[in-house]
Amino acid sequence: MSEFSEDRSITVSIDHLSKTYPVPFLRLKKFFRRKFKPPVEALRDVSFQIREGEIFGLIGPNGAGKTTLTKIIATLIQPTSGEVAVRGNDTVRDDAQVRRDIGLASAEERSFYWRLTAEQNLLFFARLYGLSGPEAKRRIKTSFEMFELEELARRRFAELSTGNKQRLAVARAMLAKPPVLLLDEPTRSLDPIAAARLRSTISSLARASDSRVTIFLTSHNLAEVEELCDRVAIIGKGQIRALDTPHNLRATHTRNEEVSIIFSPDVADSVNLALRQTFTDQSFTLERASHDQRWLLKFSREAEDETLDKVLSVLHQSRAIVRTIETKRATLLEVLEQYDESERDTRGRRN
Amino acid sequence: MVLLSRIWAFVARDWLVTVSYRMQFFLRVLSVLIAVTTLFFISKIFVGFTDVRFAEWRDPLAAWLTGLAVLNYFMTGFSSLANAIRQEQMQGTLESVLMTPISVPTVVVASSAWDFVEATFFSLLYLIFGWLFFDVHYRGSALLALVFLLLTTLVLSCLGILSASFAMVFKRGDPFGILLGTGSALFSGVFFPTQLINQHAGSGVASISKILPPTYGLDGIRRVLIEGQGFSQVHEPFVTLLAFLAVLLPFSLWVFGRAVRRAKREGSLIQY
Repeated sequence: MSEFSEDRSITVSIDHLSKTYPVPFLRLKKFFRRKFKPPVEALRDVSFQIREGEIFGLIGPNGAGKTTLTKIIATLIQPTSGEVAVRGNDTVRDDAQVRRDIGLASAEERSFYWRLTAEQNLLFFARLYGLSGPEAKRRIKTSFEMFELEELARRRFAELSTGNKQRLAVARAMLAKPPVLLLDEPTRSLDPIAAARLRSTISSLARASDSRVTIFLTSHNLAEVEELCDRVAIIGKGQIRALDTPHNLRATHTRNEEVSIIFSPDVADSVNLALRQTFTDQSFTLERASHDQRWLLKFSREAEDETLDKVLSVLHQSRAIVRTIETKRATLLEVLEQYDESERDTRGRRN
Repeated sequence: MVLLSRIWAFVARDWLVTVSYRMQFFLRVLSVLIAVTTLFFISKIFVGFTDVRFAEWRDPLAAWLTGLAVLNYFMTGFSSLANAIRQEQMQGTLESVLMTPISVPTVVVASSAWDFVEATFFSLLYLIFGWLFFDVHYRGSALLALVFLLLTTLVLSCLGILSASFAMVFKRGDPFGILLGTGSALFSGVFFPTQLINQHAGSGVASISKILPPTYGLDGIRRVLIEGQGFSQVHEPFVTLLAFLAVLLPFSLWVFGRAVRRAKREGSLIQY
């Protein structure tokens, strides 16, 4: 996670944003008595702010409104009501200025010209950004170095692997050095090593001391969101259900954590007896961990309470040697699943 | 300056795409040469048969070649603008283009720029092949002919903008293109004098040619290039084209603005 501070200036401001996709040619359809589907409410009263240098994650199930929100920030779709401002510029009234300030990298492979090389593609977009020839070439060279694409510069886009196409999309988004970067599943098709490298690049962009980039990231890879994002919003049915740091979201979801302790030598009976005597209302599972007299003790506790300390005392008194301790808190996936389930329950009750 | 550099970016892009299909380019050049040769032999059938009323058609090969060259240019003015957005939508590149600080009207104009370069090349090819291989001579002011060409292309570009608006909202190919393409070939005097329509099909059908801008453009260009007439003799089609432009330009821009706003509101701008 980047070093994110509350006192930084607001870069993206979303204020009571709603978007309902209208029914195309509604009057005509009504006039000719044609059937039509009801308007789709994609976003409802969404409000939050993203600060300079923050990596902000947006997660939610398919159809939750992530793409609509990203495209409204990118000026590609107009909201029905509410406002979005990027560095103080309204995305509807000052759309050209907003586009100067943002770069968008999506996982869409068809967003490049397949007959052109990687370099020719970037040169075309650099010209659209208004970069002069030498400046464009310099930036393209830097981007290729940053994303390790130098050897592929003269290859046709069609010949690149899916992962390299995706890296090129991020490189293109960074061409004009925008202060705001919108990343739509940036590591979706990358191999684990390439994904880790890209995450490291994303993180360093937000941390750069000279020009911090504000990053808005949507992803289905929740581990990635947890690793990268300063704050995460959970969106469902067009509404923001929760917004906080990944740590706080997990803590809000459940205070409990699972603890696993592996100990040796074979003193399981005495440990079991001592635990029963010490804890009257706590359940433990004790099972053989491996063939070399190691045992696995599992229990759950409320985060940061004294149970772990007491269990360690018991083990020590029973002459057990603790080999490893692992604690596991709820993941963002579990948090998301909880919101998804509650949404389905609400829908079920309505039906 | 920024606009020019952006238009240049599109031209350079399309040039690179074109040269990646080299064979196709040479086949097109060859097809123009074959068409001109075919028309040369057909024109030999009419030697000595030309009606004296149709002065522009005394040399039918010259009339056909100017007709085809100019029609090629006019249709580019129309269909290229109409298809600019649609093509980017279908390729999937429109979103990434619109993410740069470029307006939708600039995308439409700049995307068509290469088509105009190509149309200029192939239109000139008709005239050059006629002059080089078949002794077709043009006289009169090339500058005046160019003014007619630009004016008619501008008028047709307005129709192209209307068609682009249609494609943007309805996500369908332009219906105007088919009408205007076949309509111009039939009613604008590309292959035969428009007076013949009145003579053989009646004034009702002949009036169709009067509402088509290419009729005036072709008439003006032929009178300048083939008959060597000056501006005072061709001011009538010139003024008619100006009138078309005065009405169609503001109207097409207004409709286009509304279409873009509608597509952004419906979220369908980047869909196809």
